[in-house]
Amino acid sequence: MINQEKWIASLSIKNTRFSNIKNQINHDRWTNTIPKKNTHNSVHKYSLIAILFVCGLLFVSVVKNETRILQKEINNLEASINVIKYNLDQTIIDNEVITSPENISLLAKEYLNINLASYKRSQIKQLNDETEKFTKINKTKKEKINKEKVKNLSVNIKLKFAKRIEEKKAEIRKLKALYSNPKLVPGEIKIQVANQIEEKKTELKNIYRSPKNVITLEKVGKWSAAQVVKAFLGMPIIPGR
Amino acid sequence: MENKKKSFYFEDYTESEITNNKFNIVKVSLNRVTFLSFIFFSLLLIFSVKIIYLSLSSEKSFYSNNIKKDFVKKRRDIVDRHGSVLATNVILYDVGVRPKLLKEKERKNLLIKLSLLFPELDLNKIRSKLDKKDFFSIGKRLTPKTKDQFWLMGNKAFVFDAKPSRIYPQKNLFSHILGQTDDANEGISGVEKFFDKNLNNKDKINLPLSLTLDSNLQYLIRKELVNAEADFHNIGSGAILMNVENGEILSLVSLPDYDLNQRVSISDNIYINKITLGVYELGSVFKTFTIAAGLENKVINSNTIFKNLKNSLTCDKYTINEHDKLPKNLSAEQILIRSSNIGAVRIAQKVGVEKYRDFLNSLELLDTINFDLEEIGAPLSFKWGKCKLATSSYGHGITTTPLQLARAYAILGNGGYKIKPSILKVKTKSLEKKEQIISDKTSNTINSMLRKVVSLDEGTANFADVKGYDVGGKTGTALKYNSKEKLNTFVALFPASKPKYVLLVMLDEPKPAPNFVYEFSRSEKFPNGYKHKGEIRNTSGWNTVVVAGKIIEKIGPILAINNLEASINF
Repeated sequence: MINQEKWIASLSIKNTRFSNIKNQINHDRWTNTIPKKNTHNSVHKYSLIAILFVCGLLFVSVVKNETRILQKEINNLEASINVIKYNLDQTIIDNEVITSPENISLLAKEYLNINLASYKRSQIKQLNDETEKFTKINKTKKEKINKEKVKNLSVNIKLKFAKRIEEKKAEIRKLKALYSNPKLVPGEIKIQVANQIEEKKTELKNIYRSPKNVITLEKVGKWSAAQVVKAFLGMPIIPGR
Repeated sequence: MENKKKSFYFEDYTESEITNNKFNIVKVSLNRVTFLSFIFFSLLLIFSVKIIYLSLSSEKSFYSNNIKKDFVKKRRDIVDRHGSVLATNVILYDVGVRPKLLKEKERKNLLIKLSLLFPELDLNKIRSKLDKKDFFSIGKRLTPKTKDQFWLMGNKAFVFDAKPSRIYPQKNLFSHILGQTDDANEGISGVEKFFDKNLNNKDKINLPLSLTLDSNLQYLIRKELVNAEADFHNIGSGAILMNVENGEILSLVSLPDYDLNQRVSISDNIYINKITLGVYELGSVFKTFTIAAGLENKVINSNTIFKNLKNSLTCDKYTINEHDKLPKNLSAEQILIRSSNIGAVRIAQKVGVEKYRDFLNSLELLDTINFDLEEIGAPLSFKWGKCKLATSSYGHGITTTPLQLARAYAILGNGGYKIKPSILKVKTKSLEKKEQIISDKTSNTINSMLRKVVSLDEGTANFADVKGYDVGGKTGTALKYNSKEKLNTFVALFPASKPKYVLLVMLDEPKPAPNFVYEFSRSEKFPNGYKHKGEIRNTSGWNTVVVAGKIIEKIGPILAINNLEASINF
């Protein structure tokens, strides 16, 4: 049997005095501690998880698709690199065959003149000396020819000028003789001058009769351009003023 | 108890009633959520299956449909010393036919098309195969162009199989060196077999295997040997050009050769590599070793006179004769220059069997050589004796390979240093000290003697005296075993003052060439040189030396040896 007294006595008695103030329940304090029950909590929870899951699923699918596309591109590039490598190898082989000594000698036989003469150094020296002499002779020859050419040129030019001077002198003589005696001026020249005077008179008459026909746009343009140039040069626009 | 209790609340009746009502509403909505979840889970399952399928699907399904994508190198390229491709990989095609996929009319059409496009095909055979077989091959190792011709016929019965194959752009030029590969792309002969592992090394697959050979030199030497066949009607020939300082082989030719791109089984012995696999009695070229052995053992010097040399000598069953009438008294040097058999025997006798044998062994003439090819010949062993010594002294009754002979001459020429012949180009040579087996003095004396063999009128190799290249060398004329046919050899060292290269030329069964015009170079007697026709002698001096001279004339400028005539005059 348990000795109740013994155990009750062992209980700690701190506040034996009864205090109303202390033991009174603070309602505000305790009501705040009550967990707010949300009846829609589980629905939200599930829908959120489901949305997250679907989003994740879609994300994974998109990533996978992108990876697939990238992988495909990489594979295509690798394949094209392989093709290029293959073509390069083929080209190298072609090059080897084309540049093989056998092929080159065949081509040389066909297209090259291989009958080459060999020369000794002494022969080459002689050749050099001969070429030097040859070039010297050539130089002197050329110089002589040039000098002769120059000489010939001056003589020709002199002759030409002398001829021209003579011709001009003869013309001047004729003119002097003509002006010294105006009666002797030929009748044809007189007729030509009279014709020119007549033409100018008829032109003037036409201008006075119908100026519209005479003054064309082209003439006006030319005239105005001439006036602008005159103004720019400081010349009087209308002569005599 | 009070300490552990954190909070509590009082629930009144009305509140719990409201919550119960609400709980019923929640129950309904929860059913909907379960339904929706089921749909989403189904979707998830579908997507998951799709993702797993995509992940597991092979990448190849995304490749562009181009057969060239399969081009992956299976074997390293082989290139010469200048990087010219000697062996490389390409894709070739095997084309097969499945007759079951063809109707009667289609078969006839196919035969007509084949006869038009490929007239070389045997149509009767194809017709019978179309009737009898389920599958048969119509073409193997076809080029992409030929394959496309088949493909453009648009017949569903054709089956194309792309295979990586080995091709050799230089065709015949290196046939005895490169060897071939089998259908599984594995080496079966030559370099392809010897360096098989190296060539299959995936880490170095894009780095070519470089050889010491030179395509241009190889071509020029081969061309001269081919020309020699027309002039001297020999059944085969061989030549090797080696650097005497490092043993690098610049050219190795053996005729007849074959196109490596044509797969034909060759069983005839005539096609063997005569330089490395052929084992021959090489004749008087051995006299150089006899003189060198005498000089090295200090039993003779170049001026030692041998008096009363007979014209013939008998030893057991062997009778040794001189090839020509020679003076009775000859110096050691003259014995080599005039190629006196009896003189060589006398020198060998002075040296003695053991010393002579040791000397030849030091040059590794009698052992199997360690070389970069599978096709290596083993010299025949024999018992040494007095008569064997006598015959060996002038190169009879003793066999070796031309490769070993060239190596021995290279050692004599380079100052006596041991070298290992090689065709594999190594970027950095190891700085190991070379073993000297012959003294400089002996080497120099031999070099000057060999020069005289070529330069002096009484020498046997005047036709090799190409001006400016200071050629030295020794001729060898031997009878083939159990045959009356000859095997003529000439080994040249040039420039003789300080040899750089050794050239060995060998003609197998040459014939006299009475129609060949021999051109003698200018001399004191004939300042303009002279031409000679109608020669019936068939010794090395009248054929092999001529060929060697032509070769040196052609390859000299490529080897960039100072042309002495030019350098003196300039």
